[in-house]
Amino acid sequence: MSKQNNMSILLKGLLRENPVFVLILGTCPTLATTSTVDGALGMGLATMAVLICSNIVISLLRKFIPDTVRIPCYIVVIAGFVTIVQMLIQAFIPDLYKTLGVYLALITVNCIILGRAEMFAGKNSVGKSALDGIGMGIGFTIALLSMSIIREVIGTGSFAGNEISFLVENGLTIGFLAKAPGGLLVYGLLIAVVNKITKGKLIKKKEFSCAGCPSAEACNGSCAEAVKEGE
Amino acid sequence: MKNYIKSIISLTVIIALVTVALAATNYVTAPIIEKNAGAAANEALLVVMPDGGDFTPVDMTQYTLPESVLEAYTASNGGCVVKLSATGYGPDMIIMCGVDADGNVTGAVCLSSNETLGAEKTYGDTLKGAKIDTVEDIATVSGATMTTGAYKGAVKDALNTAIILGGGSVDIRTPEQILADNLAVALPAGDGKFTSMFICEVLENVSAVYSADNEKGLVFVTKSGEEDLFVGVDENGAVVSNVPDDVKTNIENAAKIMMASKLTEVDISGYDNMPANVDKVSKTESGNYVIEVHASGWGMGIGDEAQYDPNLSNEPIYIKVAMTKDGKIISCITVKQAETEGLGSVCANPDFYTQYNGKDETNYKDIAISGATFTTKGYRTGVGKAFEAVKILEGVA
Repeated sequence: MSKQNNMSILLKGLLRENPVFVLILGTCPTLATTSTVDGALGMGLATMAVLICSNIVISLLRKFIPDTVRIPCYIVVIAGFVTIVQMLIQAFIPDLYKTLGVYLALITVNCIILGRAEMFAGKNSVGKSALDGIGMGIGFTIALLSMSIIREVIGTGSFAGNEISFLVENGLTIGFLAKAPGGLLVYGLLIAVVNKITKGKLIKKKEFSCAGCPSAEACNGSCAEAVKEGE
Repeated sequence: MKNYIKSIISLTVIIALVTVALAATNYVTAPIIEKNAGAAANEALLVVMPDGGDFTPVDMTQYTLPESVLEAYTASNGGCVVKLSATGYGPDMIIMCGVDADGNVTGAVCLSSNETLGAEKTYGDTLKGAKIDTVEDIATVSGATMTTGAYKGAVKDALNTAIILGGGSVDIRTPEQILADNLAVALPAGDGKFTSMFICEVLENVSAVYSADNEKGLVFVTKSGEEDLFVGVDENGAVVSNVPDDVKTNIENAAKIMMASKLTEVDISGYDNMPANVDKVSKTESGNYVIEVHASGWGMGIGDEAQYDPNLSNEPIYIKVAMTKDGKIISCITVKQAETEGLGSVCANPDFYTQYNGKDETNYKDIAISGATFTTKGYRTGVGKAFEAVKILEGVA
């Protein structure tokens, strides 16, 4: 494991393969929890914890898990870690537990986690998988934070629950941004900004073909054939 | 086959490991979560009783508490906190009320409701310090009669609960239950089923009359000092309740009048100047009139009776007034109304329309419903037209 490789694995989640802005994964919690900075940070860290732990365990068990039952095994591991994180947050950070509500349990079905298990942890060493989990987790958290800062500051005139009196008193808030449609708008604008900065070169065309599909191995190109035949 | 077995074993092992991890986490976190939940519940109770200290849930099965009580907690300072359900402008108001060891309300707050006003959570502040004998005297919040009424009812139940938990005895029956019990005791032959009668005769010292649905007699409500006295009379007019002789004589006379009372409809079509509001007039043999009128309240969206249009879907207020020929109201009742719920609809409440009993043309306008100007105006118009009808019929208009 070269130093360059490790750094590359760690950093790719931040921008090049950012799960939210580039891979467009985990959209549901992204929109649901970014109306406040506190919620976004909590969701980001909780997801990162699950991502790191599930990547490590799945990587450890990758030679033990038969290919045919790997998805159920991954889901069991992920659901287990989500429940553990949920119980820990409920016990030690009850306010965050109330804020995140049902979205905490829904981390189980967050595409980022199953996607990284399938695309990375199931094929790489424990160390690399842990780095991938950390990188992707940080990338996810940064994406959520950037969205939530825009939505909370401009949408409700506060930051992390603290009112910014200048914005509120002068009526400089846009309440729409704090709502779900506003979240979608901010999300789209940030994707556009990322594409503009990177000149749209982050996602190569092949990543949308079978080569970039996490289920390619199991599917063996059958869905692409079906699409071609218009099924 | 070998692959299947390997798959089953792998999945089973992983599930077992995850289960162990979950069990271990639960072992650590469950007591903390339980403690947090207890602290959160305690915090909610402290809102209505800041000096409550620790709270212990009351075993509700050990006491007969008012029906509205959902939960009760005793506080370490000797007081108690009661969670109750109430019906205000909308159903499902959940109210939490604290009562200290001396029987004073320490706080009342609405935890959830469907009330329309949104500010109802603060109404409980007006009840702080109230005691069981002063709670009814607390002023209602203007424009929120039903909501404040619900608060008062809930707080009263909480105060009664505190008395019961303290070992005291309280009558926790609802006014309807008390009335039903009194009627059943006064005339056991009535089998507990009675209907309120519209009084169209002048009866001395009688505030209400109920007839048994099985026609086995009547129950008269009269006054004995400050208390209402329920006197049963059988179908032959004999008093069956054990009452003083003077009361017995008075009620037997009243029963004779009621049993002999007969209404005859008066043809009003020949009276050109009869107000359009007057729908029907009947006359008793003793010469009293029963006038059925309608008037436009808020339900019609207007306050002027002249604009009454029976084709409109909105309902006017229908009122029935019994009146002596010299213009004194014997009794009054709201037959039908479609006024704003919680405001104008108060006109359907017996506490409102019985205020007209004994009034005449000089003082009937003193009666009003707070926060319902249109209904008040409409009701006054209706009753006023009844006076006008009697004068026309008696030829003095």
